Amino acid sequence: MSYAAITANDLQTGDVVFWASGRWVEQFAEAELFDAAETGEAALDAAKAQATRVIDPYRIDVALEDGLPVPISYRERVRALGPTIHPDMGKQAEGGSVIKAMQSAHGAARSSGRLGLIRLKK
Amino acid sequence: MYRYDAIDKSILTDRSNEFRHQVSRRLAGDMTEDQFKPLRLMNGLYLQLHAYMLRVAIPYGALSSNQLRRLAWIGRTYDKGYGHFTTRTNIQFHWIKLRDAPDILDALAEADLHAIQTSGNCIRNTTTDPYAGATADEADDPRVWSEAIRQWSTIHPEFSYLPRKFKIAVTAAPEDRTAAKVHDVGLQLRRARDGQLGFEVMVGGGLGRTPYIGQTIREHLPVRHLLSYLTAILRVYNRLGRRDNIYKARIKILVASLGAEEFGRQVEAEWAQIDHDKVDLPDTELARIRGAFSRLDFEALPAISPLFDATRKADQGFARFARNNLKPHKAPGYTIVNISLKPPGGVPGDCSSEQMDVVADLAERFGHDEIRVTHEQNLVLPHVRLDDVPEVYAALNAAGLATPNISLASDIIACPGLDYCALANARAIPVAQAIAARFAEPELAQKVGELKIKISGCINACGHHHVGHIGILGVDKKGEEYYQLTLGGSGAEDARLGDVLGPALAYDQVAPAIDALVDAFLKERQGGERFLDTYLRVGLTPFKAAVYADAH
Repeated sequence: MSYAAITANDLQTGDVVFWASGRWVEQFAEAELFDAAETGEAALDAAKAQATRVIDPYRIDVALEDGLPVPISYRERVRALGPTIHPDMGKQAEGGSVIKAMQSAHGAARSSGRLGLIRLKK
Repeated sequence: MYRYDAIDKSILTDRSNEFRHQVSRRLAGDMTEDQFKPLRLMNGLYLQLHAYMLRVAIPYGALSSNQLRRLAWIGRTYDKGYGHFTTRTNIQFHWIKLRDAPDILDALAEADLHAIQTSGNCIRNTTTDPYAGATADEADDPRVWSEAIRQWSTIHPEFSYLPRKFKIAVTAAPEDRTAAKVHDVGLQLRRARDGQLGFEVMVGGGLGRTPYIGQTIREHLPVRHLLSYLTAILRVYNRLGRRDNIYKARIKILVASLGAEEFGRQVEAEWAQIDHDKVDLPDTELARIRGAFSRLDFEALPAISPLFDATRKADQGFARFARNNLKPHKAPGYTIVNISLKPPGGVPGDCSSEQMDVVADLAERFGHDEIRVTHEQNLVLPHVRLDDVPEVYAALNAAGLATPNISLASDIIACPGLDYCALANARAIPVAQAIAARFAEPELAQKVGELKIKISGCINACGHHHVGHIGILGVDKKGEEYYQLTLGGSGAEDARLGDVLGPALAYDQVAPAIDALVDAFLKERQGGERFLDTYLRVGLTPFKAAVYADAH
């Protein structure tokens, strides 16, 4: 079973942010997960309407690993964590089970990390 | 060094004010991101994976102590306490907030620094020899000509919307420390037999997706015509360069498609149309610039320093530092001190704010207030008295800045890669760290000798992998990080593009493969050969056998 989440960068700070029911949150662990194209599509439209809040919202593919959500793309995991060479920097510094799951995830789907929700219908 | 005049300062103030206004319009929603993005890029502000990144120009890699302290302060105040020196001899801050950017530009401008033309399809920061004004073997001081290019190219209205970015390097020594032959324009200063100074003009070099070595279109351009001749080159490029395909837009593609001879012919024809007196640098301005760089205050010192020699005998670490990091200076009793930003376990090119302050203080106390940035992501104190080197070394050592590995295997160029960069396919920094760890033992690194390893996290080649003695290119292979190795490249006067070794390797196979390559080199090496020499003599076969026997 694969899911999708919506991510963007905060306009003022450049921080990676995730969509969560109309709000933007900083931690991937709090991101809203979509498993249906229709709800994801509506959320993406709402996210894109916030042009003075975020830059370029897009969907990312998410898998569950031992029940915890993990972006499938390596690039998106780096965004959700921070530089792999500086564990004290970026979002990974906060720790937690989802951070750990992302850090131990292997492999990657596509380095662009971007996809259309249409793929979820498979 | 050159100090900004009133015109330079007013340009920076105006630009900073303009950008502040643009940012406020963007934040208020009066501009879309599509409208704003080109404006922020004109001020060096990119959006990377984790934050905005601000690239600050360091014209021809030269900084004063005051300027380096200002960069340290910006790192401390607006970033996470460090900066990253790049292969364009600029500095990047990786954790910048858009809302702080106008204040940062103001703070930079106060120290005669800026981010103009560090992005966009314009003439970028001109790079030159980090030993300029210090090495005995230069035909002239290349900073003089780099500064002339800076003044001429800054916000040049005709060349602000080129088909693609444009990079110029100027070198004046036979040993090329600028990678001039892989620039859009490489300028080699030489004296002709009659003593006249001139430039060999090389055009159409470059790395990236389609690498080329630059080709000479003028053997000897009298120096006084530099700006009119560059204008002619840029005009031909601006007119004929492709704007329909970003991958074919660089001048190297134009030169390759026309042929260097035809391109040169068109440049000469264009040049003949130009009123040279209107474009070339007036003698008075040349004299003013030259005056800013003339160093007349070197002390008359004996060539030998007893203190330096005694320290070298007593301290093995100092001796190693002296052997690898010091280069001969033109003035007796002085030396050029290279400061490696490649400590074991460190990030190539990264420098903490504290370290920047240490280097700035040392430059002020012992180095005529000058610091240089090299395209190999290191720093240089170009004018240090031999008598002062023990004290400089001690201070560098205490700050973690005395790694004695200049040009050795652990002195690796690496781009930020997928740890920071939105364009990257693969990480470069941890690969560099894994390789460097294998050469942390100084005896091994010394035995191997000069070995230039260069790593890029994508085909754009910011890490200059094509011209590494060993080049490493990160690629995306079905979504996984893979690395393609090339051998035999060089960015120096013997410029050459590396040859692909074989199939790409997985992330954790790269460092062992470098071990295997080095072992094969040590077996094949004759006399005092460098890795590159041996490779050029024996070719790929033994290296291929070594890596693929081990890795597959």
